[in-house]
Amino acid sequence: MVDHDSRAVRHIHDELHSHLPAEPALRVKALESLLIEKGLVDPRTVDAWVEGYSEEIGPKRGARMVARAWVDPAFRELLLSDAAEAAAQFGFDGTGISHLTAHENTDDVHHLVVCTLCSCYPQGVLGIPPTWYKMAAYRARAVREPRGVLEEFGVRLSDEVEVQVWDSTAELRHMVVPQRPADTEGWSEERLAKLVTRNSMIGTDRDLSRMVKEAT
Amino acid sequence: MDGIHDLGGLQGFGRIDVDEPEEAFHAPWEGRMFGMARCMARPADWNIDWFRHCRELIDPADYLTRPYYDQWMQAYSAMLVNSGVATVEEIATGKSTYRPKKVPPAPPPESFRTGRAGYTRYDRPGAADPAFRPGDIVRTKAHGIPGHTRLPRYVRGHRGVIVASHGPHVFPDAHAVGEDRAEPLYTVGFAASDLWPEVTHRDRVFLDLWESYLDRE
Repeated sequence: MVDHDSRAVRHIHDELHSHLPAEPALRVKALESLLIEKGLVDPRTVDAWVEGYSEEIGPKRGARMVARAWVDPAFRELLLSDAAEAAAQFGFDGTGISHLTAHENTDDVHHLVVCTLCSCYPQGVLGIPPTWYKMAAYRARAVREPRGVLEEFGVRLSDEVEVQVWDSTAELRHMVVPQRPADTEGWSEERLAKLVTRNSMIGTDRDLSRMVKEAT
Repeated sequence: MDGIHDLGGLQGFGRIDVDEPEEAFHAPWEGRMFGMARCMARPADWNIDWFRHCRELIDPADYLTRPYYDQWMQAYSAMLVNSGVATVEEIATGKSTYRPKKVPPAPPPESFRTGRAGYTRYDRPGAADPAFRPGDIVRTKAHGIPGHTRLPRYVRGHRGVIVASHGPHVFPDAHAVGEDRAEPLYTVGFAASDLWPEVTHRDRVFLDLWESYLDRE
């Protein structure tokens, strides 16, 4: 039974800190051995999760949704009104997309997603979040100086563009729909999807025209 | 709780590693920890908010310096010990000394596909009537609570506007102590210049906040 006693858990953390090996790889190896021996983990299931989230479940999923929104006005409408349903139409499932919401960039508005309290991220459509998304600097700075953060990512916004930061404090998950770059008229959905970067769906990338140049 | 995890707006942090390679896991142990967290057989009374609280309780220096999935390792280890499923000694050595009771069997590999269908929902339609409507002006509570809560320090005591109403969602402050209780959830918009004295742009910050975090202004 969980006792929900914060002080007890804090004390356990001290014990763990004193007794566990310092090297993360060793700590995790010992934990896996233990959980297998206790019958709590099947290592083949761990393999399945690692493989699934290394390739199949990743930002290519989100990119396909964005590309479809660029070519199909009805899908765009659905994505912006009920992104969870839009993901379900692709057959996408996975962690954190039961309450997915999508925010569309425009000439006047740029969206940026963060989780200041932990590391919430729409994994079912964007995969495993980058380490920087989960660590202190981004979480501290994104809500206070988003323009400075964006500059580090090479995104320079004019003063006229409004930044809207989405702090993922509940079980809603947020993704950004970047703008379709110019000179892509007539491109297939599949070709367009290759232009959509992971960072553009977090909001730390904006102008995808360099991707068009790379693709042509 | 006013913990180290509540990082929004803290100053003095350095540059972001924008050149990080885009692979999912940067070392095999990261993937193992991620996978174990996802497929570990667990006591029925664990939930996401209890996990978050156990991560928040990591020593502040460790919280800021240990690698991300190492924090998962530490949080899950603390939960295992707290629930009586393992001891600190066992976790340190990797050797089991007893078989825990009342834990379901380890999920098999096919659970990766079957177990994800109908993933957890946190909305509880009809559980409560929303007191606010989009357009309403609210002020966030000035203080948090000692346990797990999702009202970050940087928005406390601030004026915001309801921009969307999502109906009742599981209330994390209660969920973290074992109660599946729902409260209306709203997206609340704040002017960045209200939150931060140095901001002159008309930027905005949006948070998803529960009704009891808010008072009508």
